[in-house]
Amino acid sequence: MSIAFKPEETFRGDYSYRNSDAAVLRFPFPFPEDRYMYSVNIEPHVRSGPSDVFLRPFDVDEHYIAECRDKAITLERDPGRCQVLPHMMMAQWDTLELLMENLSADYPEQFSLIKEGDDFGSRWTWINRPLGIEQSFIFGNAETLPCEPFEYITRQAQGDFAICDQRDDNLFMDAGMVTSQADWSLEFDVGMSFMEWHGPVPLAHQTGVFERALKYLLMLRLGQPVRRLNWTMSINPRLDTSPESYPEWGPDRASVTPDNAGQKVHLRVELQTLWRLPRSNAILFPIRCYLASLEDLARVPKWGARLHRVLSSLPPQLVEYKGLTRYLPAALEWLAQHDDGRELPVGTEPGITTLGPR
Amino acid sequence: MLHSDIKSRPTYTQLEPDLSGSQHLLIVEGDTVLPGRLDSLAGTFAPVEENLHTWLVGTQAGGLGLGKVWRLPGVADVVDAFACATRGYGIGDRLYVQGTEPFLWSVAKAAAIIGFSAEQIHLHHAGSLRRRVWCTHCHTVTEDVTTSIASCAGCHRHLLVRDHFSRRLGAFMGVMVDAEAPGEVPAVEESFA
Repeated sequence: MSIAFKPEETFRGDYSYRNSDAAVLRFPFPFPEDRYMYSVNIEPHVRSGPSDVFLRPFDVDEHYIAECRDKAITLERDPGRCQVLPHMMMAQWDTLELLMENLSADYPEQFSLIKEGDDFGSRWTWINRPLGIEQSFIFGNAETLPCEPFEYITRQAQGDFAICDQRDDNLFMDAGMVTSQADWSLEFDVGMSFMEWHGPVPLAHQTGVFERALKYLLMLRLGQPVRRLNWTMSINPRLDTSPESYPEWGPDRASVTPDNAGQKVHLRVELQTLWRLPRSNAILFPIRCYLASLEDLARVPKWGARLHRVLSSLPPQLVEYKGLTRYLPAALEWLAQHDDGRELPVGTEPGITTLGPR
Repeated sequence: MLHSDIKSRPTYTQLEPDLSGSQHLLIVEGDTVLPGRLDSLAGTFAPVEENLHTWLVGTQAGGLGLGKVWRLPGVADVVDAFACATRGYGIGDRLYVQGTEPFLWSVAKAAAIIGFSAEQIHLHHAGSLRRRVWCTHCHTVTEDVTTSIASCAGCHRHLLVRDHFSRRLGAFMGVMVDAEAPGEVPAVEESFA
């Protein structure tokens, strides 16, 4: 499968990031109904679903090269975005193996992995054609890579990655590569238990959602990954909306008007997957971020109308927690023109196969 | 007693000796001892007094004897004492700490480095509610914060003190309060006196 990469696009400065028509149509739109419903919505991460992003376990799209470059810029400015506690080396190799095997199997035009054996001590060669990388190394020997294995492979993947160590019937966030996060700090959260890092989330604690989710995840099985979608909104197509850089992007929230909301306001959807790792028994938690402007989304009539209804029904605590307070009214005003009140079919599919002109 | 619905903040309990331990170390921030309170601690720890060391830290820690007593000028000396510990602490040791939250976590972190597990450490919050605040932007720690918004000791931004706590840093998160509209700083309230 060939992918028409857009290596020059940017996620900062002039924000030249754009979605092609195909990228809009495969956007993982997260709202199946008109009203906002909070749910854990975990399901098996199988190779199918209402959007093409579910077809492969680790989705690579037209933004791959540009996203890897943006990640490198963020890491250059703030190396603390990648942190691994010392006891996590086994989980680092587990992650490298999982990503290299899946990417090379699903995208043979772009990635190759040549293994002289499966076990530690074997020589492996990794070829990443979009990024122009060819690397031979000894699987299990970190000295033979330019940096530690977790950082090495996650620099070459879209999205963020956390690794949760499992002990004492709990999960601890003991490693992370976090450069495109929705306003949480790895430096602050690293080492935290499951309940601790979810501490700031409103409403859900009272209903026992996190206890149930933790119980479920502790039993996650090898070879049976699961997924869920999460969402928030961002002004401009910016990947690095970290608390660290909030002074840089915070003012953008005050720049939204009903006239420019269509271009400035982006729905930010995270495809979160969870993977049991084979040797370490840790859980890998990739968080893959997709961005689409309100203008992009409104080209799919069902999505424009639905987004207007969902955003109109958000509980105020959630509006505050997601940081929407300042610009939500302008976004709703812009979206209102795309909602004629007609009945919309349940489900997240776009319902069309081609987009009208912009 | 500190009650809180902050999910990331630990629950602090009253101190009492864990009789499964063989050696007991009680570290008390002197400023947090109310009149008469040391007597009551002495009573509580009487069953293990034979194997009890007490470190009284800071000023006005009273004249009570709880096992073998040391006096240390400040929390930095506690951290140093742990860092230089030549006696190996082992699984029979129990550590009890009383003080303000920054004190508790400075001691707990230093103890963890020399091998104390979480189960061996008992923390009791007493005294001021003042917070240690970690700046998400420049990562500087600001001590003794008692207000809802504080000026960062490092970058001088106005930080909103969020109810999100990191045990590793022993600190609450501070986030620039006027990032979206520079200069719009809400009224500062005395919240953690």
